[in-house]
Amino acid sequence: MAHKEHQANDNYFLSPATWTTVRNSLAFVALASWIALAAGYALDRQQFTFSYLVAFAYFVSLALGAMFYVMIQHLTGSAWSVTVRRLMENIMRTIPVSALLVIPVIFGTHQLYEWTHAGAANDPVLSKKLGYLNNEWFIIRAAITIGLWSLFSWRLYSVSRSQDANGSIEGTRTAERWSAPGVVMLFVTASLASFDWVMSLDPHWWSTMFGVYFLTGGALSFMAALIAICLALRSAGYLKNSIRDEHYHDLGKWLFCLTVFWAYIAFSQYMLIWYGNLPEETTWFHRRLAGSWSSMRPLLVFGHFFVPFFVLMPRASKRNLKLLGFFAGWMILMHYCDLYWQIMPILHTKGIAVNWMDPVAWIAVGSVYGLVFWSGLKEKPLIPVGDPRLEQCLAFHNV
Amino acid sequence: MADLAIDPRTELNPPLVKGAEGYGDVTDQISVITEQKPPKQWYMAMGVALPLLGLLGICLTYLVSTGIGVWGNNNPVGWGWDITNFVWWIGIGHAGTLISAILFLFRQRWRTSINRAAEAMTLFAVACAAIYPLFHTGRPWRAAYWLFPIPNEYLHIWQNFRSPLMWDVFAVSTYGTVSALFWFVGLIPDLATLRDRAKSPVRRYIFGILSLGWRGSASQWRHYELAYLILAGISTPLVLSVHSIVSFDFATSVLPGWHTTIFPPYFVAGAVFSGFAMVLTLLVLVRWVYSLQNLITIKHLENMCKVMLATGTIVGFAYGTEFFIAWYSANQYERFTFMNRAFGPYAWAYWTMLLCNVVSPQFFWFKKIRTSIPAMFVLSIFINIGMWFERFVIIATSLHRDFLPASWGYFRPTWVDIGTFVGTIGLFLTLFLLFIRFLPAIAVSEVKGVLHHQISTEKGGH
Repeated sequence: MAHKEHQANDNYFLSPATWTTVRNSLAFVALASWIALAAGYALDRQQFTFSYLVAFAYFVSLALGAMFYVMIQHLTGSAWSVTVRRLMENIMRTIPVSALLVIPVIFGTHQLYEWTHAGAANDPVLSKKLGYLNNEWFIIRAAITIGLWSLFSWRLYSVSRSQDANGSIEGTRTAERWSAPGVVMLFVTASLASFDWVMSLDPHWWSTMFGVYFLTGGALSFMAALIAICLALRSAGYLKNSIRDEHYHDLGKWLFCLTVFWAYIAFSQYMLIWYGNLPEETTWFHRRLAGSWSSMRPLLVFGHFFVPFFVLMPRASKRNLKLLGFFAGWMILMHYCDLYWQIMPILHTKGIAVNWMDPVAWIAVGSVYGLVFWSGLKEKPLIPVGDPRLEQCLAFHNV
Repeated sequence: MADLAIDPRTELNPPLVKGAEGYGDVTDQISVITEQKPPKQWYMAMGVALPLLGLLGICLTYLVSTGIGVWGNNNPVGWGWDITNFVWWIGIGHAGTLISAILFLFRQRWRTSINRAAEAMTLFAVACAAIYPLFHTGRPWRAAYWLFPIPNEYLHIWQNFRSPLMWDVFAVSTYGTVSALFWFVGLIPDLATLRDRAKSPVRRYIFGILSLGWRGSASQWRHYELAYLILAGISTPLVLSVHSIVSFDFATSVLPGWHTTIFPPYFVAGAVFSGFAMVLTLLVLVRWVYSLQNLITIKHLENMCKVMLATGTIVGFAYGTEFFIAWYSANQYERFTFMNRAFGPYAWAYWTMLLCNVVSPQFFWFKKIRTSIPAMFVLSIFINIGMWFERFVIIATSLHRDFLPASWGYFRPTWVDIGTFVGTIGLFLTLFLLFIRFLPAIAVSEVKGVLHHQISTEKGGH
């Protein structure tokens, strides 16, 4: 069969030298950025906590996006995505490290959340919520949600890994069985987590859409990261025949689709609150339009939606790997801007005040997730070599 | 059309169509339905549908001649069954668009056996839905001036474009137009097949006109498939936009229970949920009456059950989120509305809704139930009922206890409300039965596309 040749051409294992080089660079970056962050903590704890929360929310949402996609691939029996699924799984596999990385958030609740302040008990609205919004339950909920995420990500990853050796179809069935309840679990827990970590920064405010908004942004940045990782491996000479322009075309469709879906969710949330014009709801946007924060609005409207929407729409641009790569990087940045705009106006109420700790925290948290991701590529195949649908995927073409 | 290479291993890619049939058999099996006298069950169904359609005529005539006071709408429940039924019908249409557009783009090839009938249901459901806002104006002959921005000296009316009801007019009419185009474009090759098989010149003439001179040449197929793909692309945002805009009718208000940001995606999921339930209810019957078990296999039905499980669970998730956030908001009006929904005078409707919409689809977790036709038929009817109650609960419970206890009330339907609702079911069934009788209910040419792969796989090709 013709597609057997593809397999012969690609090396599914990273060379140990490449692996070690990247690992060392990541470790160095992690070390340097955490030292810098420790200094930042000593200098300005408030700023540190907020910069850290943006970074933490960013990478958790990204990893949750990966978990969502792995589950959806299993539930729909997708064949086109088999060669990229192991990379998805490796991103998903970083979730358990959130249990460690959430600690600075937990210790920073007093800096972050008004509901931890003594005045909250006298606030007529907040006093009614303190049974839910308090440090103990905040920690318990974080433990339960991260625990569940870790369980599912570990299970899905290990099933897929064991398939590498045995190639059994039973593994595919097991993954399906875990994915169905997994998606339900993911929506419920991710919503609650987004309420706790991000929405409760404005503890008087609420939006039923918020969990969906958080997950959508995460899924989008995940898809962008996945494309970026595939392209990076490609430029290093890996998976050139396993992830071809046909696969990039489909990944590009997802990037486009999620950009639109994000806009749909963001617009609906904004429009309904704007239209209702209730002070207790509009306050959230009011705060985020104060001073120079208002310049984030055109950035998100155009940068997060209109520009990628029009550029990614034609078939040709999804198959142009340079363009696709650029927009993958762009969406990674845009999701950061989105979260930054959701979180930072609580600290800098008058306008944007970028601090050196913002990028450093992102790099520090990202490099830890990156190291966990990278450890999954050591001496292990880059694609699920035992997946029963692999041949179908290698022969896949869009018409 | 977009293709995946089909893997020969049947445990991964079970055949979508059963029996070792050739192309000709599929053509015969489906075309014959439109060429012969219908079976007695068809006449029996018409015998039910036509009186109901007559009832619709009576109710609407009475309404127009008397005024909309004949409905149970009151103060504070200014919207009653009319808008409930409108949203219910619009929702039912969504399965067709989802199957024809989104499942097409997702390369879900099992859609081929069910898309035609589902798309037809979309059109008929939109027709039923349109009746309610049209007749709620009380003077449907003037409705065009209210609904469309037509300059007029006569009524001195100019539309309020800031009103989501106005957006609804555009959303629904776009939806109806695009769905009709999509449906018709898909029909063209099959209409040509019917033309070529026709024995009587009249039949040949009618199908000849309808099939727009289709000859089935390679270049025609090329254009056809491109047109189909473009229409699928255009329809995909419509799946989301129509019911999102319907949800805006409620959510842009400041009423607790209506004004909540999760409404757009939650309404879309609910619409797809109810649409699949209706498609399943009717297709199970069609499949049985016309012995289409080989084309609409148990696998198709099982997949539809899975879609209902997924969308039903999303709906349940949305109910939960709303309830939780109502508490979390610590806003006494929000909290009251939701407690009143669950434990107030409409508690019976609320719990019916929960039972039908959230509990009943959970049975689809079990493969035994997903593959049992009696079980899925009963559950699909529960879901149809549940989704009607969802709209009723949202509308009636949020309105009936206004901010001041002095303006509290209760909605009771009159016989005209009930008659109009049952009447639109009659209209829907009549149109659907006519469709089954005169047009190919399964997309012949698309099923052949699926069959092509099976045949070539069996021959060891590829």
